[in-house]
Amino acid sequence: MLGYVSWRDVLKKLTLAVTMQRPVSSLPLSPGMKLKLVGAGFQSTADLILLKPLQLSKETGLSQQEALEVLQAVRKDGGGGEGSTSLTALELLQKEEETRSIITFSSQLDAALGGGLPVGKTTEICGAPGVGKTQLCLQLAVDVQVPQCFGGVGGQVIYIDTEGSFLLQRVIDVATAAVRHCSLLVEDDEQRAAMMTFTMETILSNIFLVRCHDYVELLAELHLLPDFLSDHPRTRLLVIDSVAFPFRRFDDLSQRTRLLQGLAQQLVAMATRHQVAVVITNQMTTRLQGNQSQLVPALGEGWGHAPTIRLLLQWAGSRRLASIFKSPGNVDATVQYRITSDGFRDADQSEQPQRKRPRTQTDQSASSQPDRRLLRCLSDV
Amino acid sequence: MVVLREGMCPGLDEDLVRGLRAADIKTVEDLVSSDIEELAQKCSVSYKALFAIRRVLLAQHTAFPVSGADLYEELLSSTAIVSTGNPSLDKLLDSGLYTGEITELSGGPGSGKSQVCFGVAVHISYQLKQSVIYIDTTGGLTASRLLEMLQAETTNTEEQMEALQRIHIFRLFDVFSLLDCLHGLCSGGLQQASVGGGSVKAVIVDSVSAVISTLLGGKQNEGMSLMIQVAGVLKTMAKDFNVAALVTNHVTRGGSGEVQPGLGVSWSHIPRTRVLLERVEKAVAVSRPGLRSATLIKSSRQPCHIKEEFDLQWWSRSKGGPSLGKRKLDETDS
Repeated sequence: MLGYVSWRDVLKKLTLAVTMQRPVSSLPLSPGMKLKLVGAGFQSTADLILLKPLQLSKETGLSQQEALEVLQAVRKDGGGGEGSTSLTALELLQKEEETRSIITFSSQLDAALGGGLPVGKTTEICGAPGVGKTQLCLQLAVDVQVPQCFGGVGGQVIYIDTEGSFLLQRVIDVATAAVRHCSLLVEDDEQRAAMMTFTMETILSNIFLVRCHDYVELLAELHLLPDFLSDHPRTRLLVIDSVAFPFRRFDDLSQRTRLLQGLAQQLVAMATRHQVAVVITNQMTTRLQGNQSQLVPALGEGWGHAPTIRLLLQWAGSRRLASIFKSPGNVDATVQYRITSDGFRDADQSEQPQRKRPRTQTDQSASSQPDRRLLRCLSDV
Repeated sequence: MVVLREGMCPGLDEDLVRGLRAADIKTVEDLVSSDIEELAQKCSVSYKALFAIRRVLLAQHTAFPVSGADLYEELLSSTAIVSTGNPSLDKLLDSGLYTGEITELSGGPGSGKSQVCFGVAVHISYQLKQSVIYIDTTGGLTASRLLEMLQAETTNTEEQMEALQRIHIFRLFDVFSLLDCLHGLCSGGLQQASVGGGSVKAVIVDSVSAVISTLLGGKQNEGMSLMIQVAGVLKTMAKDFNVAALVTNHVTRGGSGEVQPGLGVSWSHIPRTRVLLERVEKAVAVSRPGLRSATLIKSSRQPCHIKEEFDLQWWSRSKGGPSLGKRKLDETDS
């Protein structure tokens, strides 16, 4: 009896060892190559690991170059997932605390977002036409360049314009206002030195504008961006204004969903790997449900999962409101803002909405941010 | 399935392998399914030798029947039920996540999928003192939110740090790195992760649909194959290493506006238990803004379509202060 049991255990281990092998079809290879491998009887990576490229190409009919590629893919897998490094939540927390957020020049919105627009995450701004999506984007393109000694991130910006709504005159207005604001805050020599390089001209030279006319251009640009980001390591912000426009007149909906999902994953990967804040704008559309109609962000339900943070800009009578609709780290909140000739700003205190949400937690997180000094000054302006 | 090689079993030498190749017998599968007598003549080997080889190969590659009693004993010794830390969800899931199984959470944007994942991760690492693997494919993981949840549990900073160290994070954004990572975990990664104290009890993938749905649709059918690969390795891992797998999925809207989990019919067979999360209608939600409803849509233990409501603000039992909650839904939300 004992002998039988141990025999069975041995066999079980054997079958386990077999099932533990990685199937060839899960390797990152082209379908044609996989087909040839499987056709020649190579089902799992264990069959391949001991082979030489020449041998493999003879047995499968792959070219030597392809055979080499296959073996490289197999050997890389043998390393036990070294290509993707794991980190503990504690390390991630430290990283998060080291990176600063991009301030929006609206202290209330900054507070609601826990210090500003987070670097390393994707944020979507949706709203009806004329509510201020592009204005907020232009404001952010300037804000990201605020020098570090003023509590900014001192970075560069890539601005992908698909609608042709990038107005240089507005950027100059906003930039001039930001320079003026910072020059009023100068206290020490470091800041004085920083102001020498923080001028309207340098702000403009640090904005890289890409005009994309259709979705093919947009997708192509996104494929090239990782190289650009490696060449310009100071880039901290990527704006796409808007993602909806090139994708709205699309006949094949399942194709559109697939392209958009791919685009979303590319953006998330870029945001994480290059420590860039990604801001995308989206239009609104009407959804009919029974006989009720509702204004919802465009591009469908599936796209809603793509951005990490979703910001909704909307009109309420003559007031403009910004709501955080989805965010893994913040409480849902609504704040009022206004668009002035200087850019995106807080609404006057007297016009504040009556109902206030409890702010204990967001206040705490705001106070832990390094740019608090700037925030306080902003609300005094 | 496996290519024939010399030395695989006694009697299978180089000459024989070459001979079999010539007769178009390359894999074990070919050999087992061929007519031995004919083959013996073709390769001029003895029928007896081939028959013996076939028997050994069959024994090596077969699956063995296990008696129900043995299985039950194994079940009792190895299966654990991991509490999610939320009483309503535990009730829905028949007391928690089962190790060896895949549990799925689906829901629209902002329905609280990630928050539930955070809650489960924090509960396992802090209350149960076990390790958790968290695979983030959407960039939604925010460590400061994890810390916030821990602060609701304890004020001891050291305990908070320890709990955070038991959560291991992988941030991957395409299906091949996900497969690499899962295979890596199967071949040793899980043991490595448990070195730091506490074995790995749960693997969370948030979200599985983000990497897979980029491959589905259109005329490509490779996406389907990769989806099943992911499902297969998740299942193997859950079963062989006794971990609970928790995955999230997005939702799609059917023709008449009803909400259903994404990834289609093939995927619907993969998770053993499926839960649909939704925001609770606004009329109720004004007073309790973090309110979410969870509906059981597939389960092998409980009747389906049970609905439970819970509040994301009060994740850990019912003591966390209202200020520590996540959501404040607004009337202006739409």
